[in-house]
Amino acid sequence: MSLLKVEGLGKSYTSDIKILKNINFEIKAGEFVSIIGPSGAGKSTMLRCMNRMVEFNEGKIIFNNNDVGSLNKKELRKLRTSIGMVFQHYNLVPRLTVIENVLHGRFGYKTTMQGILGRYTEEEKERAFYLLEKLGIHEHAYKRCDQLSGGQQQRVGICRALIQEPKLVLCDEPIASLDPSSSKIIMDHLKSISTEMGITCLVNLHQVEVAQNYSDRIIGLNKGEIVFSGTSSELSEEQINKIYGTETKDLIMA
Amino acid sequence: MEATYIRRKNDGRINIRSGNKVDQVVRWTLILLTILTIVAFIFFNYAGLDLGSAITETANNLKVMFLEPALSHFNWGEATYQVGVTLGLAFLATIIGAIIAFFLSLMAATNLSNVWVSRIVRVFVAIIRAVPTVLWVLIFAIAAGLGSEAAILGMLFHSIAYLVKAFSEAFEEVDKGIFEALQATGANWWHIVKSGVLPSTFTYLLSWVFLRFEINFGVAVAMGAAAGAGGIGFDLFMASSFYFDLREVGFITYAILIIAFILEGFSTRLKSRYFPATSD
Repeated sequence: MSLLKVEGLGKSYTSDIKILKNINFEIKAGEFVSIIGPSGAGKSTMLRCMNRMVEFNEGKIIFNNNDVGSLNKKELRKLRTSIGMVFQHYNLVPRLTVIENVLHGRFGYKTTMQGILGRYTEEEKERAFYLLEKLGIHEHAYKRCDQLSGGQQQRVGICRALIQEPKLVLCDEPIASLDPSSSKIIMDHLKSISTEMGITCLVNLHQVEVAQNYSDRIIGLNKGEIVFSGTSSELSEEQINKIYGTETKDLIMA
Repeated sequence: MEATYIRRKNDGRINIRSGNKVDQVVRWTLILLTILTIVAFIFFNYAGLDLGSAITETANNLKVMFLEPALSHFNWGEATYQVGVTLGLAFLATIIGAIIAFFLSLMAATNLSNVWVSRIVRVFVAIIRAVPTVLWVLIFAIAAGLGSEAAILGMLFHSIAYLVKAFSEAFEEVDKGIFEALQATGANWWHIVKSGVLPSTFTYLLSWVFLRFEINFGVAVAMGAAAGAGGIGFDLFMASSFYFDLREVGFITYAILIIAFILEGFSTRLKSRYFPATSD
């Protein structure tokens, strides 16, 4: 039983250039899938099609038995509550505290009034602190987000995604702006999300080796097309060349 | 061979200005203004002017005004009350204006609104801003009669237009990523405004409102005289054009100056406390 099924997905901003062409894949619940490929291959666009942050033109996305493309505004909001998202630049509100930022993840469940008044239930607050503790940043809960380091901010971002109680977490280059040790912490957390909590992770990555170490499956994208799909052991040097369009020796391998 | 992208002056020295049109326009404007000033002085009517006594009389008037300020037509309590009235006019116009401007600027900000709504609000606001405050007051005086109502309506109108521009520009500075992240959690538009936009821009909004309050205080003084809105401005008008009481004019000027200083000091402190560049 697949959680996410993508059939013939296509996206173009202008009529002549296609960002994504005929994308097909399926992801099972609890899987950790990485998407690798050169810059401009359409990785970010593809990820954003999954929760319709970007509208797609062709094909079909079935998430949790919902046809994503046909949802109206209200249904789309509901769908987005079950898909968490983590960003390269964390995208937190810098002037607010860590705990406030985490609780933003509950907006999808709130009415307009509840959201404006900032009404959160005690369970939600307990849950927020539980998640912060799990990711090891509970002592910063009342600090403003702009006082935290990049790695800490990304962990807040992950908390915000997790408090949505999502079935799927989309990560758009979560470690691209982080140093190697923070990157490892973040990747370990993401991995444990999928193994311990059973939440599916779909991760855009720039580092081939990181993808190989952490993923159950890797999807290689080049010029809007899937050129590779398989387990990390199946990803040979030849395949990497095909994804990046260059020789492996010309790539920096982390 | 010399690289062709180095621009040189006629004498061979390297030019570091890009030599665009702006520089030329500025230079010609300055030259034109200088010529006009000289011509104007030549064509003035100097008949009956004794420069020596004019200067000493003016100096004497200024001395009486600012070195011997005194009250004759009203007392200290009355003066304080009238300053309060002027402050009240400015305060009402600013607060009501800020609240209305907040909602309008949500519609005017391109990242929060759709293109057409934003354009309509912007054009509308630009038209209001193009007409001076005094004119708005006089326009509203047709309906409300000369007095404080017309003054507040007119000042309010102009404050809204000014603040909508300032606010919407502040809103447009908000990081796109914040919108994206909040949208991805399933937040609706009001949630994003309240939790993403407001916290990121609040200090800017506050400092704009305060700046507008200072401007409105000045306008309220003028309105007291020009539109009969009352307050210290009206007393200033009476003292200078009816009683020719230079000492009282001096006193009122000092009173206005002190209030302006207090406002300035207050807003500087507010800014240093809440403004992003200085706070952590």
